[in-house]
Amino acid sequence: MSATPSVSSPEAALAASGPWPVRLDDVSVRYPDGTVALRNVTLAVEPGEMVAVVGLSGSGKSTLVRTVNGLVPATSGRVQVGPHDVGALRGRRLRELRGGVGMIFQAFNLADRASVYQNVLVGRFAHTPTWRTLLGLAGHDDREIVLAALDSVGMLEKVWGRAGALSGGQKQRVAIARALSQRPRVMLADEPVASLDPPTAHSVMADLARINAEQGLTVLVNLHLMDLARQYTTRMIGLRAGELVYDGPAASADDAVFEEIYGRPLQVRDRLGSAG
Amino acid sequence: MSAVLAPARPRVAAPPRPRRLAVRTAQLVTGAVVLAALWHVHLDWTGLRELPGDVVHYLRLMFAHPDWSKLPYALQQTWVSVQMAWLGALLGVVVSTVLGIPAAQGVGPLWLRLPLRAVFAVIRAVPEVIIAIVILTVTGLTPFTGALALAIGGIGTHAKWTYETIEAVPGGTAEAVRAAGGTLLETARWGLWPEAAPELLSLALYRFELNVRTSAILGLIGVGGVGDLLTGYTQYRQWDAVGVLIVVVVVVTMAIDAVSGALRRRITKGARARVVDGTE
Repeated sequence: MSATPSVSSPEAALAASGPWPVRLDDVSVRYPDGTVALRNVTLAVEPGEMVAVVGLSGSGKSTLVRTVNGLVPATSGRVQVGPHDVGALRGRRLRELRGGVGMIFQAFNLADRASVYQNVLVGRFAHTPTWRTLLGLAGHDDREIVLAALDSVGMLEKVWGRAGALSGGQKQRVAIARALSQRPRVMLADEPVASLDPPTAHSVMADLARINAEQGLTVLVNLHLMDLARQYTTRMIGLRAGELVYDGPAASADDAVFEEIYGRPLQVRDRLGSAG
Repeated sequence: MSAVLAPARPRVAAPPRPRRLAVRTAQLVTGAVVLAALWHVHLDWTGLRELPGDVVHYLRLMFAHPDWSKLPYALQQTWVSVQMAWLGALLGVVVSTVLGIPAAQGVGPLWLRLPLRAVFAVIRAVPEVIIAIVILTVTGLTPFTGALALAIGGIGTHAKWTYETIEAVPGGTAEAVRAAGGTLLETARWGLWPEAAPELLSLALYRFELNVRTSAILGLIGVGGVGDLLTGYTQYRQWDAVGVLIVVVVVVTMAIDAVSGALRRRITKGARARVVDGTE
């Protein structure tokens, strides 16, 4: 697998009409079991920015990105995504917001026993009547969008295969295609490369950076490895124990900054290493 | 030397050993209950001495000279039993799936889950034979009564298996569908169903296997099938015919178990290894 897919993205089918800004204003999240995952986080991400959210596991990264699409509701404070005030949305309005926010996950979260095509079609759910999606039927436009999304990540030839038969890197590409087929304004990535080997991790990060550059999407990506954050993103948010401890350029964040974010001296496992 | 054998203080300060009083008490009480139970049922231990002789005697009656002329009729009635089992499984599984999925945590709301689970629990508490006796007042002594009893009786356990299977599906795929803006129905259809379907299909076949066995018992109350026949011949002490019936029931049940078991393995294990043309 080459680091950069040979097929460039078909802009026409996937172009969204403009990225959204993301604003968190004094946001806290307390889970029902009493765990406080976020403490008074204030943050503004401009449209089209590519931001890394860095921190150790348990620092609140996953919670932070999930407040953006309402998978985790903010206990207090305000989350604004484009024109939406996330905390005020319910039902159909909330699904509309989610339709505008693509998300990929550490464990890929594909339906392994369904085809690649059906998996990517999930990205069209917010834009399609429910009776159609329940039967697995796609209209002509949806079909075109799905195929274009798969093409843009170099996975078009696997379209009729089962998702479970793919390798980890291929699964994450299909998951990216699923998110892209939403024609999102914001892309969230929760530790997207933590389950991948280093070369594949680099190529998936390169895919995300390319999507950010070509389509101008706002990207928030959770990472725990410092070199990935420095190499692929322009801005870095540091979280420690649910508190925002760093917000600045990713390139100039030196080891001292990372030691501050991690709250301990650097270790070998904090770096992924370069692509083989 | 004495300093080595008896150090003034233990060198390793181990945490105090936990008191296991509760465990010990439970063990003693359980033991006492078992002994009391043995004492109170008044087992006739002397009967045990004659058991081997009796077993040999009846085995000889049944299998020394089986009445093979009864074979066609036995096969025909066994087929009725299998039909009863199949129809009962089909009806029961369909109803269980429809009622079981909303009863899963994370799918249906609490006000729906609790009553559904209560209904399943009540059905589980009632044996199929009792259900058959109740509904035969409406449908009469027919194989259809047997099938209905199997269907209703099956809902208790099968719906429980269904919601437990759904709950055991890892939540990631469902989360992805929700994150993409899917409704509750869409999340169930594309986040849960693809992962749970092979398990559910396998359980449906297992339900059929169980029903084949249970249908023979249901015959005892007269709803037809091989159980009916077995009761009749036993009551008239036609042991040579009973022998044929037992052979037929055992062979047919084992054959169905083998075929159904192979199918279930294929569904749950084989599908995972399957490669669709073009994926590799």
